[in-house]
Amino acid sequence: MIPLDVLLRDATSAEYRNLVTRPTGAAVRGRVLDTLRGAPRTEALLDFSQIGLVDFSCADEVVAKLVAAVHNLPVSRVIVHGVREDQAEAIDHALARHGLTVLAIEVDTARPRLLGEVPADWRTVFGVLCEQGHSLAGPIAALLDWTIARVQMALDGLVTSRCIVRDAEGRCDVGVLT
Amino acid sequence: MRVVTVPTHLDDRSLDALAGELGPWPPEDRLLIDAHATEWASPAGFVALLTLGQALAEAGVPKPRLALPAGDGVAGYWAKVGFLGHAEPFFELHGKVPRRRADEQSDVLLPLTAIRDPHDVHDILDHVTERSTQMLRDELGLEASVVGGFGQSLSETCQNIVEHAGTGGWVGVHIYNFRRRLGRRAAVIAVSDAGIGFRRSLEATQAKRFGDRWSDGLAIETALIHGISRFRDPGRGQGLAGTKRYLARWQGKITIRSGTARVAIVPAWDDEPPMSEGLAWFPGSQVTLMIPGKETT
Repeated sequence: MIPLDVLLRDATSAEYRNLVTRPTGAAVRGRVLDTLRGAPRTEALLDFSQIGLVDFSCADEVVAKLVAAVHNLPVSRVIVHGVREDQAEAIDHALARHGLTVLAIEVDTARPRLLGEVPADWRTVFGVLCEQGHSLAGPIAALLDWTIARVQMALDGLVTSRCIVRDAEGRCDVGVLT
Repeated sequence: MRVVTVPTHLDDRSLDALAGELGPWPPEDRLLIDAHATEWASPAGFVALLTLGQALAEAGVPKPRLALPAGDGVAGYWAKVGFLGHAEPFFELHGKVPRRRADEQSDVLLPLTAIRDPHDVHDILDHVTERSTQMLRDELGLEASVVGGFGQSLSETCQNIVEHAGTGGWVGVHIYNFRRRLGRRAAVIAVSDAGIGFRRSLEATQAKRFGDRWSDGLAIETALIHGISRFRDPGRGQGLAGTKRYLARWQGKITIRSGTARVAIVPAWDDEPPMSEGLAWFPGSQVTLMIPGKETT
């Protein structure tokens, strides 16, 4: 877990609680990337739980540009952890502008959700997957009364955007979130 | 000395009348900004007056005189919101100057505050967040879910100065009764800078598309309606876009005046034209956001 409040204080040399302004966002992103460069292959869990406000520009710098920047690093995926509704809205807005999607975990409920540009089929399949825990495409298709190909296409999209993981047998789930 | 009369009620719209009295820019004569008969000013009026003072200083013209309001308590209010403290470097103040310091009581959510760099934006947000939660709830009857977006919008509007103006500016946030047009109280965020304005900011990347039609109005429209920034980074322009989305959800209003034009996204409760062009020129850019309180039945 990467505590963004700690990186924020480090980046600004001040006791700020809010992730606001582009220069601050870029500085925090730089510190997140430094942390990830030194780590073994891992999920990047960005902990927002101790952060106050997140504005749209900072969400763009910290999350959207990070998602685009981690491809050359030993990072399996970026997960936004411990977000409040207003923070989620800012991140959602920033990601959608880039056509990106990330998995987020809400602060109070620990409920997983998708933020960013999420096609309707992805959202529906993701909802079923969260209820089921893990699943192949077939059972989801049966539950939704969809074709397997349609479910498979949504699962492929969610796997490619690293919002869910798929094992060797083709079972999908949101993965271990610690 | 040229006399420039400040309207009796100075806000984002009556600023046009003030601009109309400025004459050619930069002024050849020393200005007397006459607020003697001014009874009331909104935060948009205060930050615009400070912008005028800064623009005159940057133009290198003699320090203008500012005749303070004569009405009972009016100049005291100008001190309370922090105007007089910020005005002193730019204006020779005339009239009874109250020595009252800026405070944070009643309707002032954020006294007039200078914005020079990103640290100022952090300080403003740290200062305002807790207080805005309480005031938006108690004074406007708004839900907690409105508060996050309020802070985001405040932050983005202030950042526009740091990112685009090329100089500093001011912000003020007040809550007041918007009786005539809205019939209830509203929170008003007013930001103004003496910078290069929307047209010059976007000129290098956008003017060619419009040719001879390129104007202040088109420049504001390009930024506000189409979310286009002077930066080619696709993530840019998010601030105004996010602010617009927030205001639309809460029946809020945004107005941007720059140069000779004003563009507004107008909610159902207001009747301002979406675009006003051919206005008298005023320096820099002025952004005003209004978030109405809950409607009581």
